[in-house]
Amino acid sequence: MITGKVTSIYGKDINTDDIIPASFLQQSTDRKFFKDYAFDRYDPAFRERCKQTTANIVIGGENFACGSSREQAVYAIQENNVVCVLAQSYPDIFYRNSLSNGLVLITLPDTSSFQMGDELRVDLDTYTIENVTQGTTFRFEMNPDDCDTFKQGGMIGRVKHHLAELLQVSK
Amino acid sequence: MGQTMVEKIVSRQVGRKVSAGEKIERLPITKLFFNDVIGPPAIEGFRANFTEVFERYGTAPRVFDPKRLYFLPDHSVPAFTIQIAEGVKLMKEFAKETGAKMYKEGDGIEHVVLIEDGQIVPWDIVLGTDSHTDTNGALGTLAFGVGTTDSLYAMATGHLYDFMVPESVKFELTGTLPQGVFSKDIILHIIGIMGAGGCSKRVAEFTGPGVRSLPMDARTTICNMAVEMSARTGIMAYDDVVADFLQGRAQWPVEPIDSDPDADYAQVVPIDLSALEPTVAFPHKPANTTPISRLQEMIARSQREPTPDFCTVDDDVITDAFLGSCTNARYEDLVAGAAIMRDHQVHPDVNLIVIPASRKVYQRAMAEGLLQVFIDAGANVESSNCGPCFGSHMGVMSSKSKMISSSNRNYKGRMGSPDARIFLASPATVIASAIEGRITDPRKYL
Repeated sequence: MITGKVTSIYGKDINTDDIIPASFLQQSTDRKFFKDYAFDRYDPAFRERCKQTTANIVIGGENFACGSSREQAVYAIQENNVVCVLAQSYPDIFYRNSLSNGLVLITLPDTSSFQMGDELRVDLDTYTIENVTQGTTFRFEMNPDDCDTFKQGGMIGRVKHHLAELLQVSK
Repeated sequence: MGQTMVEKIVSRQVGRKVSAGEKIERLPITKLFFNDVIGPPAIEGFRANFTEVFERYGTAPRVFDPKRLYFLPDHSVPAFTIQIAEGVKLMKEFAKETGAKMYKEGDGIEHVVLIEDGQIVPWDIVLGTDSHTDTNGALGTLAFGVGTTDSLYAMATGHLYDFMVPESVKFELTGTLPQGVFSKDIILHIIGIMGAGGCSKRVAEFTGPGVRSLPMDARTTICNMAVEMSARTGIMAYDDVVADFLQGRAQWPVEPIDSDPDADYAQVVPIDLSALEPTVAFPHKPANTTPISRLQEMIARSQREPTPDFCTVDDDVITDAFLGSCTNARYEDLVAGAAIMRDHQVHPDVNLIVIPASRKVYQRAMAEGLLQVFIDAGANVESSNCGPCFGSHMGVMSSKSKMISSSNRNYKGRMGSPDARIFLASPATVIASAIEGRITDPRKYL
């Protein structure tokens, strides 16, 4: 169960340059570095809002995090204590990058009812979202394999196992 | 039922017939490349995650196949900070250690150099750590931009995990391009129709007689920007133009590829090239396009109904112009720009930056006098790299500045100040505008 509070609501086609501008990308290879530059040119108040609670939820529109493949966009969001993003759709590169890092992405056809400050409970076992503040419940769809990957925080275990298999064969 | 090129390439790699919608748990790839932005963290991640596995098997760390792995420092070179220099050094050391190919600073932009060097051939599955890896699809390859994690996994095992075989959208190009209209105008027009998310989860296949009439450089410009409508990638079939291009260049066996005539598409979009005009994308989204004849109407609309990604534009005046990037800085692009620049001067209020996309393009443009044309006109010609498109160096924009660029993204803050305005256009439109100091239809110079 993921619980958190809605602290950011964005429109459609937010891009990964909005989330983390290019000029910061090569300043560090430490994912924590990107925390302080999230939404630096698009919405610098994002970071301050995220500091107010330990579990933030971001609401997006269609095509959330399009554009550049920079995985630092995922780090910038996650390091600001964002536990989950709810949007109408995500382009594939960002979706894959989020899977790799266990940033849970929920897809809902309509995200317009969510308000700033809403307390949400996201259940990855029953595929439901409870808006505790508004007293409403939504069902969402998610590929069960993706759900497992989100829960495990990525697929590094599987990849290590595969590499071991390959090394065994070449021995 | 026939197969799309995407389905064919994936089928061959996994050794059985697959269709769109299927999930492939382990997809073997054939080429992998890194730039200086993602290379350094990926190498660190590779070591952090896999060193213990190699130790367990008593092997020195090794990559999936050094002959299929490339490192290209192109975004921020020559380095302008110590961190960037350290990153490039790490790539050099790692390439030496593993036997992978390391390019030099100034050799050029990843999506241009590997194609130029004959490393990319039809039927490849290419991963690159940059969303514009889709460019490589112009050679009949399946090419995906990936993040740090997918890339470092592929570096270890040569696979992409949990891959969903995507559906394709067929863009059927017919007719002939009018004079002064270029492949950049085609793809801007298509992105304008489809919208920023219009091709999401699908591959954009560009086909028809309109594609077959285009030379190689022009084709790569189209595939390059497929991602701006959120396509999974762009792809084009093998034909005589590709065959000629690869003749004497290909470093790998070349085999023809095309989709079957009865393949299944999610959507078919006809595009009549003869109806197109020079096209301009307004800030802050590549999908905000207008034919240049309706420029003033678009400016008026931006003042009447601005949104966060379609901002107010005061007028058609520009202060900066950029001819460069992986989209439009190949030889033919410089030829098109120089043809307009010749016998003219850059407007006194405009800073024009010209960056050939690779060292080979640079050398050819120099030998043929094209660079001389730009330099004599008052342009700044720089060594090959991504330049101001990456918003970090070689022409970062101030507030209130207005740029017309041959690159692929005009997001807010993309090239510097969030208060700058970026317009996207073809090399010809960029140069005509640099001469006049306002957005200008290049056809008056032809």
